[in-house]
Amino acid sequence: MSEPAIDVHALHKSYRMGKVNLHVLRGLSFSVQEGEFVAVVGASGSGKSTLLHVLGLLDKPDRGRLLLDGRDAAKLSAGRRNHMRCCEIGFVFQFYHLLPELNVLENALLPMKVDSSTIGWLSRRGRARRQAKEILERLGLGKRLKHRPRELSGGERQRVAIARALVNSPRLLLADEPTGNLDSKTGVQILDVLKQVHRETSRTIVMVTHDASLTKVAGRVLHLRDGKLQQK
Amino acid sequence: MYKLFLCLRYLRRRVIAYFAVLAVALCVAMVLIVASVMDGFLRKMEQAAKGLYGDVVVQAASLGGLGQYDEFIAEAKRRVPGVEAASPFIGTFGILQVPRTEYRRNVQIVGIRLPERVDVTDFEKGLWAQAGRARPDFDPPVSLLLARLNEHINFTREIKRREQSRIDEGADVSSDDHLQMRRLDTALALQRRAMAALLGASRHQKEMAELSAKIKALRQKVGEKPDATLDALEDRLGELVKLTGYLSPRHRMILGLGIPALSFRTEQGETVRLIAPGHRVVLTLLPLGGIASPAEARTRTFTVVDDCRTDVASIDSEIVYMPLSTLQVLYGMGPDYAPDDPTKVVAPPRCTMIHIKVRDEFATSEGQLREVAREIRGVWADFHAAHPDAAGDNVDVQTWRQIQAKYIAPIEKQRTLVVLILGIISVVAVVLIFVIFYMIVMQKTRDIGVLKAVGASSFGVAGIFLGYGAAVGLVGSIIGTVGGFYFVRYINPIQDALDRWMGFRVWTRDVFLFEKIPNQVEANTAIWIVICAIVAGLAGALLPAIRAARMQPVEALRYE
Repeated sequence: MSEPAIDVHALHKSYRMGKVNLHVLRGLSFSVQEGEFVAVVGASGSGKSTLLHVLGLLDKPDRGRLLLDGRDAAKLSAGRRNHMRCCEIGFVFQFYHLLPELNVLENALLPMKVDSSTIGWLSRRGRARRQAKEILERLGLGKRLKHRPRELSGGERQRVAIARALVNSPRLLLADEPTGNLDSKTGVQILDVLKQVHRETSRTIVMVTHDASLTKVAGRVLHLRDGKLQQK
Repeated sequence: MYKLFLCLRYLRRRVIAYFAVLAVALCVAMVLIVASVMDGFLRKMEQAAKGLYGDVVVQAASLGGLGQYDEFIAEAKRRVPGVEAASPFIGTFGILQVPRTEYRRNVQIVGIRLPERVDVTDFEKGLWAQAGRARPDFDPPVSLLLARLNEHINFTREIKRREQSRIDEGADVSSDDHLQMRRLDTALALQRRAMAALLGASRHQKEMAELSAKIKALRQKVGEKPDATLDALEDRLGELVKLTGYLSPRHRMILGLGIPALSFRTEQGETVRLIAPGHRVVLTLLPLGGIASPAEARTRTFTVVDDCRTDVASIDSEIVYMPLSTLQVLYGMGPDYAPDDPTKVVAPPRCTMIHIKVRDEFATSEGQLREVAREIRGVWADFHAAHPDAAGDNVDVQTWRQIQAKYIAPIEKQRTLVVLILGIISVVAVVLIFVIFYMIVMQKTRDIGVLKAVGASSFGVAGIFLGYGAAVGLVGSIIGTVGGFYFVRYINPIQDALDRWMGFRVWTRDVFLFEKIPNQVEANTAIWIVICAIVAGLAGALLPAIRAARMQPVEALRYE
């Protein structure tokens, strides 16, 4: 049997907020298999986002072990972590986090640009643009390529963010409350998109949300409470 | 790739960056304008100094001057490869008068050899009547002078007509305007008088030339013995000279154009000559160069044949030029003859300076010129040893820059100081860039988080803001350079316009020595300023860039 895509063991993470030391993750252990769609549900402040940041190599755990495809994240060099964030992990945020100066297509291309040198980009540009356009079209944004984020609705923005997360064909997609900022109807559409992505590409997806009703798209649901997992 | 892409995009999209660009542009323009004007000022000063002195000057400290200069020049040319040409020079002081007027003024009197002098300096470039003559002299064709004077009379009439019509229109006529009209009338009257003298000279020119030639030939034949024919010829020549007022080539003079009251300038900047070629002037000086001193002052009359402008007011308003040999005799530096035999020269004629032109390939730097000067000093030492009676011991060889050091060095220092001060002021621009960039980085916290989340490294993020800073510096300095260039280029019209609208004039001839504000921009200066501006942009962006690089993606993304 192949290595699990994510293997977490006794993960601890705390950070300071003002003068208070918040112990957010208190010894989590779980693993996610390649191609699984896992939802992590928990109240706000239960540490879902922190968990996702650690999984996405945006943050480092204080203690415990994180294996991605069998590789120990603690032993990765900074350059390697940057590269994995760029090409192996896609991130979708609650607040979309698109760059306001760039149009839809440019936003979606950003990870590809980060991944290329200037000369490399020149040779790759055409192909990259085609790929990005294709993804954006699949997400129903084919007519919006030249628009700025502020000209789009929330649902559209989130779809651009998903396109950006997918553009480098990462093996792991992490979604942090992807519907948290959307009305329920649009939220459902976004979930459908994620479901579709999972079905079509069988990527590993980890989504965190506080809304238990959204978890039906997931193959497995983990409940996070007070920094610990509660299996149901 | 994203670094370049994003910093260009930020440059275009963030309006606040325009203020940073503007600050850089203003600082660049300011430094460029001041440096260019002061450079131009220096260059003019240097040109004028070289125009007056050549490259290297051999100068006697004593009023007695130095003799056997022609032999020395030949020797120097033979032994020093850098020496291209050389010419003797006498400089002294005297009083200039205009006959039949109260006019009297102290001037510098300069004795030069023409046309030989143009090999050493650019003397010919400033001449008016002989403009365009490659080898001007003290005996230009009278027809040329007539033509030039005729042009000038028409020119003056034209000005008078213009002023008259302005007065007739009645638009804000002041007492100055009436004064101006009176001056123009005086100028025209004087110019007509000069014209009459020139016409007389041209009528009798042929006869006078023939008489001079005959007298010269006869004098050589008979020596100093009295001779009736010679006397008759000399009387006739004297009569003609008296009639025409046009003296022999030995008694001719070139005036500096700017000696007060010999010419004046209209408000529009046109020069109108009161004393023009054909007029006579009287010069009085003390023969200080003489061995027997103190002697009585000597007074001679000269015919003006030309005027000369170097655009350096201190030269143009002070100096009159006459033939070297004439000044030698007047100044007491002429040859001494044996008392018993008036044809035997016991002491050679002398000069106060020798001006030397150094070949271009030996004159690329001040250091090279000093080397040439050192070699010439060696030649002088040997020459003096071989000809102990030729000249005094106190002879110094210096470059033109050393001679003019007391004028040039303060301006050079001033320039450095001003550029330095403006550079310090430009630190304001760096601070402004810093503040603006800090603001941008703070505003962009989330975007920096996103960039890191999609894999950008800390260096990459820092690179975006450093590139952004450099781009602000580059764009600002390009705008500033172009703006500064055109400002300097049109600085004189700009000043004229300011003067017309607000009566405000920064650059005046009496204060700044020069006619016009220098309006050249040196490419080197511009390039240096652009480089400094880019460095300033980088410096201003450095701390914000480091801050951006240090940002943790999670911190950056956490808050909304």
